[in-house]
This record gives sequence, structure tokens and C-alpha cells, in this order.
Amino acid sequence: MNEDEAALLRRCKEGDKAAYGTIVKRYAGQAVGAAYLLLGNYEDAREASQDAFVRAWRNIGSFDTTRPFYPWYSTLLRNLCIDRLRRRKEMRGLQSVPEPDSSANNPVLEAERKELCQNVRQAVLGLPVKHREVILMNHFQDMSYEQMAESLDVPIGTVMSRLYYARCALREKLADTSQ
Amino acid sequence: MNCDDFKPLMMGYLDDELEPELRSRVEAHLAECPDCREELEQFRSMKEDLNMVTFKEPSDAELERYWSSVYNRLERGMGWILFSLGAIILLCYGGFKVVEEVVKDPEIGLLVKGGILALVFGTVVLFVSLLRERLALLKTDKYSREVER
Repeated sequence: MNEDEAALLRRCKEGDKAAYGTIVKRYAGQAVGAAYLLLGNYEDAREASQDAFVRAWRNIGSFDTTRPFYPWYSTLLRNLCIDRLRRRKEMRGLQSVPEPDSSANNPVLEAERKELCQNVRQAVLGLPVKHREVILMNHFQDMSYEQMAESLDVPIGTVMSRLYYARCALREKLADTSQ
Repeated sequence: MNCDDFKPLMMGYLDDELEPELRSRVEAHLAECPDCREELEQFRSMKEDLNMVTFKEPSDAELERYWSSVYNRLERGMGWILFSLGAIILLCYGGFKVVEEVVKDPEIGLLVKGGILALVFGTVVLFVSLLRERLALLKTDKYSREVER
């Protein structure tokens, strides 16, 4: 974590909302993107990511400012997204595909090859949630295994095992979508 | 160890997350197992593809709108806390006054007095019960641990 972020977080702890604004703007794109890959709906993702920022602000007092903000925030975000999915009854079997997104032409992902971007989006959203979340953490949020284990509250061995099955499932989905 | 035991470790190898000793063991297995080597190459190629896909960075105007929405929620949160606090104080005071008036008033019949008192005490019991439930829930809240981190 850079010193700049630690200083901003210390100011946040003192109640400085402007400093928090800088933190929010720094991670907003990543946060909406992460929520989108879990929820499959842009409006839901935007709202969930904002809820998580509000929750983080309310608990900033107990946050250790020597640690990076985003892994902590992403755990809050993940749990809020899982709650939303549960409310949508998607958690039953963790297999269902998210509700169709009206913002399909406005995805949060980008790549030089549009086709690749579309295939990845479709394949990831087609995965069960438990696979989706490890792919999201590993590939899109660059989280270390240690951070993933802490966020998921499982041992590192379980992270590797989940990642293996998630990658196998993604490989199949990508093969299907690119056909 | 067979191939199935090495597959999860292969993920750590691919992501450069293994200790040197485990890394050497995976390398030794890969050297003698063409199936695992092929699978590793497939995952490596998929990882390269995924690395080319990134989250869109919002424009400055979008970020301003986003922050403004978060900021409004933060302000609203404080508003709700003050509103709830005020409502609780007024309700308690009002309840106390109603009970006092009802008990003192000789014109109100015993049955009506009993009904009003039951209503007031019932409300208090329900409120305390809900509050206790919320506090118990907070203790077991799955978010509480992550918040403390």
C-alpha cells in the first residue's frame, strides 16, 4: 500500500469525507466491475458497490490503516452481493445464470478484442457463484492467495482447489461461448 | 502423489504462489506427466486471455456522480440516526405521560385504563424484544468479523 493511501485512510478515520471521496473515486470502477461479475446486472452492481462504500465508511474506525483498503472493501462488497443473490433466490444450487441485463451493451469490461471481452463476460456470468468469485478475485482483482483465503475464510489449500475447479468450468464455458 | 493431488498445486504454480520446495515438486511432476503439462498450458493460455480483459475506468463525470450518490447516503445515514433517536425519546416521554394521565384520571374506567396500559407496556416489550434480537444478530453477524479486519 502506498503512503498516500495510508494518509487518506487516517484522515477518513478522523471523519474527513473529502478524503473518503478520493478513496471511493480511486476504486469505484473496480468495485462496480467486481459487483457486476457477481450480480450480472449493472444497476444492481452500482448500488451494491455504493452500499459497500457506505458500510466501509461506517466501520472505518475499526480498520487498520496500515493495511490496504481494497481487499477489506472487496470482502464487504462480496458479502453484500452474495446477500443480494440470495434474495434473488439464485443461491439455490448456485447454478443459475443472472437475470438478463438490460445494460448488455454497456458492460464494465473492456479489451482490445471486443469479441474476447464479450465471451469472457458471458462465460464468467455463466459460472456458479462459488466459481465466479474466485475467478473474480484472482483474475480481475489481482488478489493474492492469502488475501483470497482471508476474504473467503478458508485455508490457502482450499483456495487453490476452488481455483482449479473454477478454471476448469471457465475453460468449458469459454469453449462453448467461442463456438 | 498422483495427478489429482497436483492439480490444485498447479494453480499455485501458475500464479507463482508456491514456496520453492512445493514449486520444485510440481516442476518434477510436470517433467514426467504430459497430461498435466498440457492442462497447465491450457490454463496459462486462458490466463493470458483473461489478462487482456480489464474493468472499464469510469470518466471523471461518472466518478463525480458516483461519489455524490455515496456521499448522499452517508449524510442520510446520520439523518436516520438522529431521527430515530428523537423518535425514541419522544415516544418514551409520550408513553410515560399517557400512563401518568390515565392512572391519575378518575373519569376513565378501569377497563379502558387496563387497555391503554396494556397497549403502552406491550409496545415497550415489543420494542425491547426487537432491540435485543438486533443486538444478538449483530454479535453473530457474518460481517462483524470482516469489519474488524
